[in-house]
Amino acid sequence: MIPLGDTLLYASLAVSVIALVGLISREIKNIELLNKLVTPAIIAGAGLLTFSYILLTYYFVYSDFAYDYVWQYSSADLPLIYKISGTWAGQQGTYLLWVWVVYLSAAWLALTTKHETALARRTQIITLLTGMYLIIITLVQSPFKLIIERPEVVDMIAKGTLPPDFVPEVGNGLNALLVNFWMTVHPPLMFIGYATMTIPFAAAIVYLFTKEDGWEELGRQWARFTWLFLGMGIAVGGVWAYLVLGWGGFWAWDPVETASFIPWLTLTAFMHAASLHRKNKATFSIAAPILAVVSFILVLYAAIVVRSGIFNSVHAFGDSSTGTLLLVFIGVTTLVSIVLGMRRYFEEPDKVEEDRGFWNKTNIFYVTLLLFVVLSFISFWGISFPAFIQLTQGLKVGVASDTKNFFNIWSYPFTIILLLALGFCLNYNEKEKEEQKKTLFIVIGLSIITMFLRTENFYVLDHASPFWAREPALYKMIGNISVISIFPSMIYATWSTIERLRTYIRIESIKPKIKGVGIAIVHFGVVFILFGAIISSNFTYTIESANIPLASKGQLVDIGDGYGIKIIDFSTHSLTETKNTPSGALSISEIYASPEKYVSDNVKISGKVTNVANVQSPPPVTYTTYLKINDGTYTDGLWAATQANAPLEFQQGLELTVEGFLIPNFKSNSTGSPCTAVTPCDLIVFSSPEQITEGTTASGSYNVQSVRLEVYQGSKKIGSGVAEYLQSQTGSGTFPLVDSSITGTDIYVIFQGLGGGIVPLTLKIIPAVNFAWIGIVLFAIGIILIMAVRTKSKV
Amino acid sequence: MRTKKLVSIIVLVLILLFAYFSYTTALKNFTLSDKNASYLGGIKFHRAASGLEEGFQIAQQENKPVMMYFWAIWCQYCAGFQTNTLGNPQVKKILEEEYVLVAMDLDIDREVAQQYAVSYPPYLVFMDPNGNILQRVPGSVDANYLLPIVTKIRDDVRR
Repeated sequence: MIPLGDTLLYASLAVSVIALVGLISREIKNIELLNKLVTPAIIAGAGLLTFSYILLTYYFVYSDFAYDYVWQYSSADLPLIYKISGTWAGQQGTYLLWVWVVYLSAAWLALTTKHETALARRTQIITLLTGMYLIIITLVQSPFKLIIERPEVVDMIAKGTLPPDFVPEVGNGLNALLVNFWMTVHPPLMFIGYATMTIPFAAAIVYLFTKEDGWEELGRQWARFTWLFLGMGIAVGGVWAYLVLGWGGFWAWDPVETASFIPWLTLTAFMHAASLHRKNKATFSIAAPILAVVSFILVLYAAIVVRSGIFNSVHAFGDSSTGTLLLVFIGVTTLVSIVLGMRRYFEEPDKVEEDRGFWNKTNIFYVTLLLFVVLSFISFWGISFPAFIQLTQGLKVGVASDTKNFFNIWSYPFTIILLLALGFCLNYNEKEKEEQKKTLFIVIGLSIITMFLRTENFYVLDHASPFWAREPALYKMIGNISVISIFPSMIYATWSTIERLRTYIRIESIKPKIKGVGIAIVHFGVVFILFGAIISSNFTYTIESANIPLASKGQLVDIGDGYGIKIIDFSTHSLTETKNTPSGALSISEIYASPEKYVSDNVKISGKVTNVANVQSPPPVTYTTYLKINDGTYTDGLWAATQANAPLEFQQGLELTVEGFLIPNFKSNSTGSPCTAVTPCDLIVFSSPEQITEGTTASGSYNVQSVRLEVYQGSKKIGSGVAEYLQSQTGSGTFPLVDSSITGTDIYVIFQGLGGGIVPLTLKIIPAVNFAWIGIVLFAIGIILIMAVRTKSKV
Repeated sequence: MRTKKLVSIIVLVLILLFAYFSYTTALKNFTLSDKNASYLGGIKFHRAASGLEEGFQIAQQENKPVMMYFWAIWCQYCAGFQTNTLGNPQVKKILEEEYVLVAMDLDIDREVAQQYAVSYPPYLVFMDPNGNILQRVPGSVDANYLLPIVTKIRDDVRR
C-alpha cells in the first residue's frame, strides 16, 4: 500500500499534469478546453503539498517511528521545537519543503497574473515543469518511506527476528549538532530561498526563448526575496558555525557554505544587471537573463553539494542518490540556456552606438558584473575541481596546503576592485565624471602602494602558520600583500555610500527616497561584513589547549601570556526531559567534578562495561574483579571493583548499575590490577557482587557537560559565561562560551569535554566580529526597504 | 560595445588561466592520498575500512593498542593537528613504534564513522587489540594533551 503522504505527492503530480496540458494546449493550438481548470489545478497541487508537509510535521510531533525518516531524525524525548525542525533535518524533508514552496509560488503566479499574458503562461509552464521534476525527486527518496522498507529491516523480517509490522520504540535521534536554535531556522531559510529562485529563472528562460517583455518585473520581487532568504540562510549558517561548531570564526570556505554563497553572488550580479536593464531594455539584454538562469543552475548545484553525498564537508547530514537526478536537471537546463543565449547573441544586431569610451555607468556596471562572475567562479572552481579529480582519478587533492588560503588569495584582489567599483559607481555623476575619475585613480594608487607595506603579520596569508612555507610561489606572492591595502578602497566605498545616502535623504518624493536609502544601507552592509571578516580573521588571538584540572575549581589558573581562567562550576544535565541514569545513579562526570562530595560515601553509577580485569589476590584466596564503567559523560569512565571467591564473568559492553563506596587514590600490589603504585586509580567504586545489577535505562539522551568559567587578563575579569559540550549517540558538539563586549571583541572559549579530570579549553579573543553581524542586519534592512517600494519599469 | 567585448575576452582568458594553473598546482603539490596508505603528518597509516581488520590482526599478534584517526580533506584543523600534534616527535615516536594506526577518511569510510559515532574531524578513537574503546579524543588537541594519553594507553594495553 502506498503511504498517505506519497499518495498526496502523486495526486499533486497528477493535477500538475492537467494544468500543464491546459497551458500547453492553449499555447500551441489555442485550445481553451482545459483553460478554466488550470488555476484550480495549480492551487489544488499547492494545497496537496501543503497537506503533505503538515502530515509530515504531524508524524514528527507524534513521533511516528513507522516512518523511516521520522525514526532517523527524531526521538520521542526531544522538545517540541526540535521535533518540528526534524522535518527539515534531512534531505527528504528539505526537498519536500523546496517543492512545496515552488508550488506556493506557482499558485501565487496563477492568482496574480490569472495567466492573462503569454509571458505569465509560459513562465508558469517552466515553473510547473521544475516543480514536477522536484516532486519526482522527492518521491525517489520519499520522507514517507516506511521503516519496514529499510533493507536491513526487510532482512530481519524475512528471518523472523522482527514482526512484519515492526515499529521501533525509540528514534535514532537528531544529530547533536542540530539541536540548537540556529539550526531550526537555517534549513528553511536556505530551501525557501532555493525555491523562490524558480520564478525569476522561469521568466528569464521565457525571455531568452520568445523575447517576452516584462520578464524582469515579473521575477523582480522574487529575486529580492531569494537574495534575502539565501543571504540570511548563509549568515545563520555562519552564526551556527561560530556559536555551535566552535570554529572560532563564521566563515571557513567549507564546500557547503561556499556552494550556497556562489548562487548568492551571481544573484547579486543579476540584481545589478536588472537595475540597468529595467531602465533601458537594450542594456544587459543577454547578461541579465543569463545571470538569472545561472543563479538557478547554481542553486541546483548547491543542493547537490549540500545533500547528495558527492561533496563532503562538516555538513554531511544527508546522504543519497538523488544527486544524479539533479545532475540531469542541471545538464538539461545548462544546455537549454546555452543554446538560447547563443541564439539570442547572434540574433541581436550589434548596435551601432556611439562608443562613449570606457568611463560610463553601463561599463562600470559591466565590470561589476564581471567581478561577481569572477568571484563566484573562484569559489565554484575551488570546491569543484578537487571533487572532479577525486571522481575521475580517484585521487584526493587539496586546493592549497590550507584550503582557505586558496579562496583568500584569489578573492582578495577582486574584492579590492569590487570595492573600488562600488565607490565609483554608487556616487556616479555624469557631470562630475572627470573629478570622480581623479579620486578613483588616487584611491587605486593608494591601494597599490599599501600592498607593499610591511607589518608584523597583517598579510593576506598568515606568515606564522605552518602552511605558509608549503604554499607555491605564486600563492606566496599574493599572500605577501599587506591587508592594509583593503582600507583605501574600503574608506572610498564608505565615503561614497555616505554621499549617496545624503543625496537620497534630501529627495522629496518618498518612493525613490526609501529605495535610495535601502540601496545605501545594503552597501554599508558590504563594508561592515568585509571589515568584520578581515579584522576578526587576522587578529584573533588564540591560546590552545588550556588544560585546567577540575580539581582546581574556584582558583585562577594561569594559562600563559597573562591570561587566566577560573572554573566556577561544572555540571551535567540532559538536554531532554528524561534522564539517562536510573534513579539515584550519578553521572560519572558529576563524580569527577566534585569528588570531595562523594569520597568515602555510597555512590551508584550506571553504564557500559568497557574493560574487565580479574585479579587473583594473595591468601585467603579471593578474586578481585575490576570493571571499567562508562556512561558516556566522562571520556574515560570509572573503575569499579568487587571481591568474590571465584572470578566473576562480565561481558564487555554489558550494561550494569554498580553501587558502592567511592575511594580515592587506590593502589594494589597484585599483578594484573589496573590500579598499581605507579598508576594509582584516582577514584574507584568498591562494591559487593550483590550490589552489581544488570541493566540501565535506554540511552540516546543528549547529555550536556557545562563549565561555568571566568576569563581574566592579569587580575581583570574580561569575560564570563558557560561553555558546553554535548554528547549523544548520534555524535557530539561543542557550544563555546561567547562573551561579546560593546567594542566588538568577543571572548570565546571552546570546551571539548571532560577527559581524565582535565577540562580542555581553547581561549580565543576575536575582535570586530560584531561588525559582520551588523553588516548582515544592514543587508536585511536594506533589501526589505528596497522590496517595500514598488516601482514600474520604464518601457 | 567594443570595450565591453575586449574586457569580456580578457576576463575569460584570465579565468581559464586561473583554472588551469590552480588545477595543475593542486595535482603537483597537494595530492593527499595514494591508493594503499595515507601519510598524514608524515606518519604512515593503514587506510580505510579494509585496513581496520588487518590492523586488529596485527594488534592482536603484537599486543598493541589501535589508534583510529578520523580526518577529512576539507578539515582545516586536521592539517595543523597532523603537523603539530601527531607530528610532534615524542608523540610520533610512540605512535609509530607502539601503536597500530588506522586512518579513516570521513568522506569514504562513512560507515565506520557512523559505527563509532564520530561526526566530525579530527577525532581519535583508541582501542585495545580486541576492539574495545579505551578513549575518545575529539577535536584538535595539542601534543601536551595527547602525549600522556598515548603513553597511558600503551602501558594499559601492555599490562
